Formats: sequence, C-alpha cells, structure tokens
Amino acid sequence: MFIKIKSAAYLGLKSYLVEVEVDSSHGLPGQSIVGLPDAAVKESRDRVKAALNNSGLEYPGGYFTINLAPADTRKEGPMYDLPIALGILLASETISSGILEDTAIFGELSLDGRVRPVEGMLPMCCALKEKDIKRAIVPAENADEAALVEQLEVIPVDSVNSAIEYLSGEKEIKPHKVDLKALFSKESEYDCDFSEVKGQFHAKRALEVAAAGGHNILLSGPPGAGKTMLARRLSSILPPLSLEEALEVTKIYSISGMLPSRNSLITRRPFRSPHHTTSDIGITGGGRIPRPGEITLSHHGILFMDEFPEFDREVLEVLRQPLEDGDISICRAATSITYPAQFMLVAAMNPCPCGNFGDPATECSCPPFKIQRYLQKLSGPLLDRIDLHVDVPRLKKEELISYPSGETSSAIRERVSKARSVQQERFRGTKISSNAKMTSKYVKKYCVPDSEAEELMKKAISHFRLTGRSYDKILKVSRTIADLDGSEMLLAKHIAEAVQYRNNVC
Amino acid sequence: MGIESKILGSIGEDLACDILLSMGWKVIERNFRSHHGEIDIIANDGKDLVFVEVKNYTYRSFCKPVFSITQYKKKALIHAARTYIMLRNIHDVDCRFDVIAIYKNSKGEQKTEHFKNAFMIN
Repeated sequence: MFIKIKSAAYLGLKSYLVEVEVDSSHGLPGQSIVGLPDAAVKESRDRVKAALNNSGLEYPGGYFTINLAPADTRKEGPMYDLPIALGILLASETISSGILEDTAIFGELSLDGRVRPVEGMLPMCCALKEKDIKRAIVPAENADEAALVEQLEVIPVDSVNSAIEYLSGEKEIKPHKVDLKALFSKESEYDCDFSEVKGQFHAKRALEVAAAGGHNILLSGPPGAGKTMLARRLSSILPPLSLEEALEVTKIYSISGMLPSRNSLITRRPFRSPHHTTSDIGITGGGRIPRPGEITLSHHGILFMDEFPEFDREVLEVLRQPLEDGDISICRAATSITYPAQFMLVAAMNPCPCGNFGDPATECSCPPFKIQRYLQKLSGPLLDRIDLHVDVPRLKKEELISYPSGETSSAIRERVSKARSVQQERFRGTKISSNAKMTSKYVKKYCVPDSEAEELMKKAISHFRLTGRSYDKILKVSRTIADLDGSEMLLAKHIAEAVQYRNNVC
Repeated sequence: MGIESKILGSIGEDLACDILLSMGWKVIERNFRSHHGEIDIIANDGKDLVFVEVKNYTYRSFCKPVFSITQYKKKALIHAARTYIMLRNIHDVDCRFDVIAIYKNSKGEQKTEHFKNAFMIN
C-alpha cells in the first residue's frame, strides 16, 4: 500500500513542504530511504525499529521504500523519524487514519518510543500555514514554539503511541495554544542596571544615542574604566522587540537549535559577545549547508566585540559588508543562503597594548611602533562604518568615591523608546527600522539642518576632511539626537554633539 | 559438527516447532536447504511468511542471541529464503526473519525467547 505523510524542511530561514512517501511491497523484510537523505535521516531506520519494538508494537514484515519528496533537495536531521514510523505502520495497514490529508507530522524518535524535540519548528510551521495545512503533530517540547503560528492546530505528542492513538481517532488531544500577548506583556528583567555605573556621563549619553538610533559604537579607554560594564548594560536600555522582530529572531534561534526550552518566543533583544579567538566563519556563518553565525544571531540586537583589535584582521573585515547591507549571503558548493544581520555593533578597545595611552594619570609604556601596529588592525573603512567613537577615561579617585549613582536603565529606556517610536512613525511603510539604517534618499529627506547648523556642518567637513559616508553618518546621528530632543529640525547643537562623537575619524 | 550437537539441534528445533504450533502458527517446512544455507523452520503466523532460525545455547550469554547471528549467517539465511521464495513462486506475502533462542538459566531451567523480525535484508 502507498501512504503519503506531510512534513517540512528548512534551508536557511526559508522552509518548504516535504512529503514522506512510504510504499510497502511483499517479499523479504527491508527498508530503503531515497530523496537525498543525510546520515541522520538514514539512521532513522534503526531508531524507528527499536522505538516501535519498545512501544509494544511490531515492526511489520515486507519491504518498505521511503521517498522524501521533492527528491532533489537534501534532507537533514532526524525530524522525519515519526512520519517514517507512522508511514510504515499505515502502509502495512497496522493502523489507519482519515486525517492525513491536512496534517503534517514532525518528531525525532528516542529508542524507547518517546518523541524528542527537533530544530527549526517555527520556520517549518510557517511554511505549513502558507500551504494551507490545518494541523501539525509536533513533539510536546516544541509545542509552544509551533503554536506561535496562528491558525495552525498544534497537536503535542510525547510518544509514538500517543501519536498513533490520535491519528486513528482513539484519543483526542487538545490543540496547544499560547497567548502571544501574555508572552509580550511579561516585563523583562535585566540582571544589571545603568545606575550601577559611576560617572562616565559622556559615555552613557553616547550609548543612549546609539540605542535610540541603532547606531554602531566604539568605546575606547584604559583597562578598568568600565567599557565592558557599560556595554553589557546597553541591552537594558534598548526598546523591547516588536512581534515581527521577535518572530524573526525566534526563527533564527530555532534553526540554530539555541531556543531555550521554557521560552518559546524570544522577547528580549539578543546580546552576543563572541570571544576574540572566534574565526571569520564563526562570525559570518558558514559550513557545507550554511548555518547562522554571530552576526545573524545578534539580529535586531547587539553584537558586542570586546578587545576589538585582538580579533583577527579577516574577522573584522568580514563585518564591513553586513554592517552596510544588514544581511549576509553565504555561498557554498551545496547552496547559497541569505541570513538577516541587522545588528548594532558595540566594540570596546584599549587605546594601545598597555592600555594607558592618553590617560593623564598613568604613563603609557608602549613604544610608538607598537601602538601603531595595534591600531593598524582597525582599517579605515571599518572605523568609518562605526557612527559613534567614544572615549571612556579612567575615573579619578575622588570621582570613584563621591559620585552618586546615575539614572536607572528604565528611565533611559523610556527616552529611548520615545525616540524609537518617532522613528517608527517616520519610516512607516518602509523596510527601515531605525535612523542608522536610513539610505541616502531618506537622509536627504529627513535630515535637513537649519542655516546655522549647515554652516557648522560645512566647517566640520573642511576641518575633519569627512568622507561622504561620514557626512551621512553625522547627519543620521544628529537626527537621532534631535529625536531624543523632540525636535523636528536639525539644530546646530545636535550637529555639534554628533560631530564630537567622531573625534578620531582622521 | 559432532553427532551430539546435531541431536541437540534437532531437539531444539522440535521444541521451537511446538512453541510455534501452540501459538497457532502453521509450520510449512523444516530444514529447507539451499546452496548456501539452511532454514530451520518455515512457518506462517496467519499473515506473514516467517523464516525461523533456532539458536541453542548451553548457557545464557551476555548479549541477546540475535546479535550472535553473524553477518555470514544472515547472508546464508537470506540466500536460502530467496531460493525458497523463488522455488515456491511466492510473491504476494510479506516475509520476515524470526529467531527463537533456547537456553538454560542460572538455575538450570530451560527457557525460550522469541525475537520477531530479528533482522532485515539491508
């Protein structure tokens, strides 16, 4: 007998329908899987047999041919175990079902017959919705994630037996539902707060501007000044993710298998801080079938690179294109995939190898050629793409003791959210999410300085010998500062503040 | 093969036959031989055609008896099964290989164990 069960596969963030076709024929017992299965799919034979035996079922006799259609795309992972097991039972007429037509099935089998969670549930369920499939039988541990797709009946199963009972109509399983609003209304708590940072008002202000406009920022200062402390607190002042953004981020974490099991939807902006030994492929993503790298994992969030010049030069240079485009296309022999990468780069560095260069209190012990070599790691084009350059000086003794603690994160977040909502209103209907992502067309339209500001801008261009890109960047940063200020026009003070954030451009 | 173990083998096979008959199976043929191998019992369980291999153990080893069927033995059994199917012109029945293990436990009592669908052809 011939049986067709629907399932899905994902390639990058895109998903497509896969049909698991099982044909049984008389003869000696055996099984073959075709349709470009990878090792994990081929091994399903042993898992399926053991799982059926240990669930009190008999693996039926006869020969089974299993085809994963479309047969020309590579199928990865163990998520076809459950459809194959059920397909074999259905094809041998051990069980029967009347709801196969509009039901998709996913699940990895454990040898004892339990159903284990699979990766990429959310993007695959999105594909089902597009193809008008009503129902999905998913591993119980993936149910929260699958239920994020509205108008899809999600049936959680924990074992082969419960899946069989549901399919044959012996047992009713209530569709799993999640309350999206409740997930979002949960006030996210951060374990660190800006009020813990003493002094550093200049850097705090710069981080506020960066957060408000989604600008990249470079913090430079001697060791122990609080660069890392400041950067780690940046996520606490960022506005919460919108629903679409949250779904996008959750999809990325779903295909990387990094979704926390209790948290089906990621509502907090991701914060990634790769170590400086990370390879360029680790940053961009890659592999035979390309997997997301750090820049994709920090989509809609923060990529924090501590000890910026310690990263390999290639690693830093690969950041250039995604910083500009907001996505990354990875081409390999097998396939080419485009992953989104709209992240905020936060870099922290020392001004020289010993860290004390420019510090009034401590003398720098580095010979000039060492400083030069240290800073040479950072190419001009890369620095040009970072909107805000901020010095974080070491606190003086009296400052350390006397400064009262500063503003709390929630107070800053309120201002940032306000500025962001102004931007959302401005870019409604476009793909742009924040001031930093404006194209030059929008810069011309929205960043109009008044006459005094224009005069100042002209001076800045000639004095700092600004490139076209830095000119645009300064206008964008001043737009954000004006948004924080609640001003429609770009005034001289906004431009002045923006220009001083690019003090070490040349 | 010594005459002793041959007798032991046939005693085991008789025992296995009794077990199968008591389950309501039909024993079709015993000791079917092809060029490469021999099938101890060929039976019908009401649905599938079952090729039964009987394994005698004087003691219970650590692993399941299924695993003590070597690749070589499997090939011989599969070859014999193919020959049987061809000779009898069978083509509308599902087939499978079962193993019946006969052993003595630590108390010296005789035990049997039945492994359904013990292995597949690939």
